[in-house]
Amino acid sequence: MIEVRNLSKHYGSHRAVDDITFEIDEGEIVGFLGPNGAGKSTTIRVLTCFLPATAGTARVAGHDVFNDSLAVRAAVGYLPENVPLYPEMRVREYLRFRGKLRGLSPPARSAAISRVMQRCWLHEVINRPIGQLSKGYRQRVGLADALLHNPPVLILDEPTIGLDPTQIRETRSLIRELAHDHTVMLSSHILPEVEATCQRIIIINRGKLVAAGSPAELRERISERARLIAEVKAPAAEVTPAVRKLAGVTELHTSTVDGWTRLLIEARGDVREAVGSLAAARGWPLRELRRDAATLEDFFVKIVADASAARD
Amino acid sequence: MRNTIAIMQRELLSLFCSPIGYIVITGFLLVTGVIVLRAGVFGPGRPATLREVFFWTPFVLTFVIPAISMRTISDEYRNGTIEALMTAPVTDTQMVLGKYLASLAFYVIMIAATGIYMLLMEVFGNPDWGAAVAAYLGLLLLGAAFMAFGVFASSLTRNQIVAWILGTVPLLLFACLGFFMVDLAEGRVRTMLQQINVMGRFGQFARGQVESDAIIFFLGTAALFVFLSIKVVESRRWR
Repeated sequence: MIEVRNLSKHYGSHRAVDDITFEIDEGEIVGFLGPNGAGKSTTIRVLTCFLPATAGTARVAGHDVFNDSLAVRAAVGYLPENVPLYPEMRVREYLRFRGKLRGLSPPARSAAISRVMQRCWLHEVINRPIGQLSKGYRQRVGLADALLHNPPVLILDEPTIGLDPTQIRETRSLIRELAHDHTVMLSSHILPEVEATCQRIIIINRGKLVAAGSPAELRERISERARLIAEVKAPAAEVTPAVRKLAGVTELHTSTVDGWTRLLIEARGDVREAVGSLAAARGWPLRELRRDAATLEDFFVKIVADASAARD
Repeated sequence: MRNTIAIMQRELLSLFCSPIGYIVITGFLLVTGVIVLRAGVFGPGRPATLREVFFWTPFVLTFVIPAISMRTISDEYRNGTIEALMTAPVTDTQMVLGKYLASLAFYVIMIAATGIYMLLMEVFGNPDWGAAVAAYLGLLLLGAAFMAFGVFASSLTRNQIVAWILGTVPLLLFACLGFFMVDLAEGRVRTMLQQINVMGRFGQFARGQVESDAIIFFLGTAALFVFLSIKVVESRRWR
């Protein structure tokens, strides 16, 4: 549904987006993740035909964003970052105006407005001027606008930014619901946000694509280098050589905690069983043995840090 | 076409929702009202004509018209709504045309309000309706040209005050310079100045003379600046 090939966008000498390639299939819900200033909004603006690319191509719903821009725009529902709206218009007037631009006939327009009004909980404010609305309601108006023409592709730039926790939960469940009959691409700089809603994550940093995959796949990549924490009652001098000999162990740190020896083991694969049997064979009392499951958060932080370090 | 009309309607609604629209109309009517009074049009024995009013109108319009058009495009950039607008299936041409036509419609409504002077004259005297129709045609054409320049000024900046200044100053210089320099210059320069003398061209209409070259001059100027505005909006894609 969305195909991006070697896309670059430079602002003067600044490379906002640098040779990015990815694909999003129909019906997928994909999170576009990166720290602030990573190039998320720029990529999205190219995909929604607001900005032209410096190099590379992008196709949305089978149309090229540069050569067939009107067809792309007709197929996309877009919620821009910061949700720009006309403050002097009433919500209903605004949605009616947007419906006209989307080419909806008057009956189709009223039907669409009542549909999105329901989906985005806009009943209370439908006749209020947009300038008087709270941030949360403005966000909903923006989302309602993106859904108005029932587009096959939804592109949402930071859809939950500025919302309170209840609204965030409501918006997430709405997005998950929408994924049943739309292809959704949403951007965020908050990982749990993406983890909670998306089937697949694309991580970019400093304009470069650094990782892509399902949350499970990304987690697997880190769990290969999992850390193990164990505490045994035995002198460190005795424990260290024995544990080092175990297959897969790459690194070991020991420390003493009130008479117990605390082991921090880095290993390829899962060595819990080996450590357990070693302790049993030697007769060391064992009071803790756990795998320090790396979260995606760690992964995200690490990737971003690595990429930054590599650049510097 | 559908999009142009939708944008035009929205723009008009926004002009009538903002205080600026009313301030502009009030200011314009106030100034023309004062001119009508000062001209003593309704004095006994005076000719029932708005000629003197029409003489001053272009000067007033150099201030008023950029005030109508100053928000059109600059505000879209300042509010960021340009992003919502240009990611909907709307072309740059439709956007600029819709905004231009809305400003022009607002201008026509404003000018129509001065029709009250004509009605009063009809009650108290016997005005020359032929000359009046020609003068209003002239006002419409002059407005079309000035408004296109105002929209062009608005496309150059995201600050509406800057847009107003960018619109007013060149129009004022253009209107005055042409008018006052024509008599000073000689030969080719004089011919050239006569060609671009906005006041002179408008004066013909005010006297009841409808000249095709003046119509072409005003419409051509309008088309040129609408075209340039579209190009400025498009230039966002070249950067």
